[in-house]
Amino acid sequence: MSAVRAAADGDAVLGLTPRVALEPGSLDEAADAMRALARDRAAVTFIGGGTDLELGAPPARLDAVLHTRRLDRVKEHAPADQIVAVEAGLTIAALQRHLAPHGQRLALDPPHPERATVGGVVAANAFGPRRTRFGTVRDLVVGVTLVRADGVVARGGGKVVKNVAGFDLPRLLCGSLGSLALVAEVVFRLHPLPEASATVAVPGLTPAEVRALARAALDARLDPVAMAALQEGDRFRLAIRFEGFGPGVREQAERLLALDPRCEALAGADEAALWARHDALRLAGDVRAKAAFPPASLEGAVRTLEPLAATLTAGALVLHPALGIAFVAGALSRAEATGSAVAAARVALRPGNGSLVLAAAPAALRAVADPWGDPPPAVEVMRRLKRELDPDGRLAPGRLAGGI
Amino acid sequence: MTARSAAGEAAQRGGAGARAVARKLAAIVGPRNVVVDPAELLVYECDGLTHGRVRPDLVVLPGSTEEVAAVVRVARDASVPLVPRGAGTGLSGGARPVPGCAVLSLSRMRRILELDLENGWARVEPGVINLDVTRAVAGAGFYYAPDPSSQSVCSIGGNVAENSGGAHCLKYGFTTNHVLAARVVLSDGAVVDLGGPAPDAPGYDLLAALVGSEGMLGVVTEVTVRLLRKPETTRTFFATFPSTDEAGAAVSGIIAAGILPAAIEMMDRLAIVAAKAATGLDWPDVGAALLMDADGPRAEVEHVSARAIEIARAAGALEIRVPRDEAERQLMWKGRKSAFAAVGRISPSYLVEDGVIPRSEIARVLRDIGRLAEEAGLRVANVFHAGDGNLHPLVLYDARVPGEEERAARLGGEILRLCIRYGGSITGEHGVGAEKAAYMAEQFGPDDLDTMQRVRCAFDGAALMNPGKVFPTPRLCGEKPGPYRPHPAEVAGLAERW
Repeated sequence: MSAVRAAADGDAVLGLTPRVALEPGSLDEAADAMRALARDRAAVTFIGGGTDLELGAPPARLDAVLHTRRLDRVKEHAPADQIVAVEAGLTIAALQRHLAPHGQRLALDPPHPERATVGGVVAANAFGPRRTRFGTVRDLVVGVTLVRADGVVARGGGKVVKNVAGFDLPRLLCGSLGSLALVAEVVFRLHPLPEASATVAVPGLTPAEVRALARAALDARLDPVAMAALQEGDRFRLAIRFEGFGPGVREQAERLLALDPRCEALAGADEAALWARHDALRLAGDVRAKAAFPPASLEGAVRTLEPLAATLTAGALVLHPALGIAFVAGALSRAEATGSAVAAARVALRPGNGSLVLAAAPAALRAVADPWGDPPPAVEVMRRLKRELDPDGRLAPGRLAGGI
Repeated sequence: MTARSAAGEAAQRGGAGARAVARKLAAIVGPRNVVVDPAELLVYECDGLTHGRVRPDLVVLPGSTEEVAAVVRVARDASVPLVPRGAGTGLSGGARPVPGCAVLSLSRMRRILELDLENGWARVEPGVINLDVTRAVAGAGFYYAPDPSSQSVCSIGGNVAENSGGAHCLKYGFTTNHVLAARVVLSDGAVVDLGGPAPDAPGYDLLAALVGSEGMLGVVTEVTVRLLRKPETTRTFFATFPSTDEAGAAVSGIIAAGILPAAIEMMDRLAIVAAKAATGLDWPDVGAALLMDADGPRAEVEHVSARAIEIARAAGALEIRVPRDEAERQLMWKGRKSAFAAVGRISPSYLVEDGVIPRSEIARVLRDIGRLAEEAGLRVANVFHAGDGNLHPLVLYDARVPGEEERAARLGGEILRLCIRYGGSITGEHGVGAEKAAYMAEQFGPDDLDTMQRVRCAFDGAALMNPGKVFPTPRLCGEKPGPYRPHPAEVAGLAERW
């Protein structure tokens, strides 16, 4: 039986406290819990590790929260098939610890791996710097078991990487923030753990130089797994990481070093420290924004985002030049000014279908800025999809873009 | 779906069939672009899967998004089902007409609209041929990664509908990993843009639902695809083995060594014989062969390729051939890519199957297929993407021998069931279409299928788009103000008539 208890402070979602908290320990218990919530017509928000709980708007209604933390088992790992099936509440770090002895990993490196759960990463579309090479969770998920608002358990995809039978429910759930169904189990494709790793870093670059060097590396047909530029004062330090077999990693790092005399090679603890600094910078403060734009518009995006960073205390940018993604993070000091800068940045990013999303924001900023911006162009279809799967609007209502 | 039940459905809709709106459609696209002549309609009765032909009422060939939207509105008002069609190369009957339908051919919309190499994308109309995207950007060192064997004739719109793969999707992914945006006409005539050149558009990832939806969610009229830089180096080798057991062990060994090949393909004895007959390649008579590509930066590729060859030798390879130049490499790949058609050299008729199994089960499944073939008294040639366990058994038969075609179809079905039993899938890249809809109920449960159909209802509540595909039993859509209640017709069993 699913554990049900009166909610406590730790169950709050963006300032709202539910009446009850449920903690199912199996798929059957999760389905039971969902059926009970359906009978009570209770609005529910799902919580994994809580690392992205600030993404999106507060739920319009919150009667219950459902924690996935007791759903933390590896259901099946077939090393020879490079596939793993896991429950939604398993943390990324625990999954990687399970896989590492088999020389494998999930090629996904979102922040807070010790807390971030598999289901949460799917729901929030969380990612880290290796997205440059391996893509997002939608590129790695091959199957999903979901529990619908009416308690019905359904599966999409499967346990093989290549599979086009039926509509693609696993990918459709990526980024849905628990508003379509509970992600209860996930099947991932795995990648081999690399034999070697090296990072080449270049300090003191302007945004134009960041883009030029990132492009030069790709034009040279190098195959980096990650590329990110960390703001240091008014300049950026670009870090480019290679992983693979020893000879390949060495050769790629050497060729990059030869491209620009300012390059320095990092390995071991220095390399780990640099990427830890990337995560820390991306997550600093209580305001975190993610901007998306066509990659060639990097300089324009930085010009757009610097005024926003300037409204924050210790505001700084992290750029992902190959992806067309930039993070702005810092501490809120003047909500009105930050709100105006968010609005201005959204206008500037609009051409090329760009966007700016608040991944974290204190209430003072939420009062003056929508976390998503304008409703997406296909919002009518999105509303219909929500109605089809959650006709009573009980799953994280209002959390998503367009008030969905 | 049978022809009779489809006709029943058309009658149930109250539609008189597409012929009643021929004049209205001609006013939109011009009389030359509405085909009603029975002789001309013949080619539209099927796609690459040539049995189970159904003659459409007419074919309409719009030339723009606006024309597509106008055509869809006319069809909706008259309850005429629409069957979108790209190049017609699909192998699952995904473009098979239903009685009374209009086939909506996208073959006139074949312009490359915009190339942006700085951002790495191409915006194209759906009728553009897959390989033509690569041809347009190859001079600048770019290419479009998904490479179905039919890439010189299949269209991007069809690739989006089927989520097409190819030999190189082991490393590079499928169509769904390479589509950045799409413009779609929905069954109510609305034009919506999904995705865009910037990543991470807020809201649901509707593009994920669209790609692979087999033309059932809407008509795609523009697609923005990702372009990749051509890898610096590609190393290919061809290895022969006494049997598929050793070849399968080599594949497992290569993957276990942490190698991600760009492609790794296997052929069994019969497929090798066929490829030799068709291309004149001097391949030896052996039990199995592997063809592997490694690509990427030079040193990495040299290392990986050498290591893979060592593993193949240790697994029992009889001979390893490394092409001397690009021409020889292309010839090896031609042997592989022409294997389907080549089977025509050794058999009057053949069925192409498409199923997926866990890679580690290759050897066992091939033995099981051999046993099933023997029981059926038929031969099966196997050509497949070994790296991801995507089998393409080719069931050889002679249609002139009474009963043999039916036996071949039954054997094909048994092979699909085998894939399901091993935890795999009934299709890795050809789609479910009309042909495999019945098997969906064996791979998925009713609740799984119901959930997928709800996605369809969000896009196409009128069930106008490509009816009768993918789902064994269609679900009726309707507004559900409260918790889900069955549609009255569902209760009465009407929906079971399909």
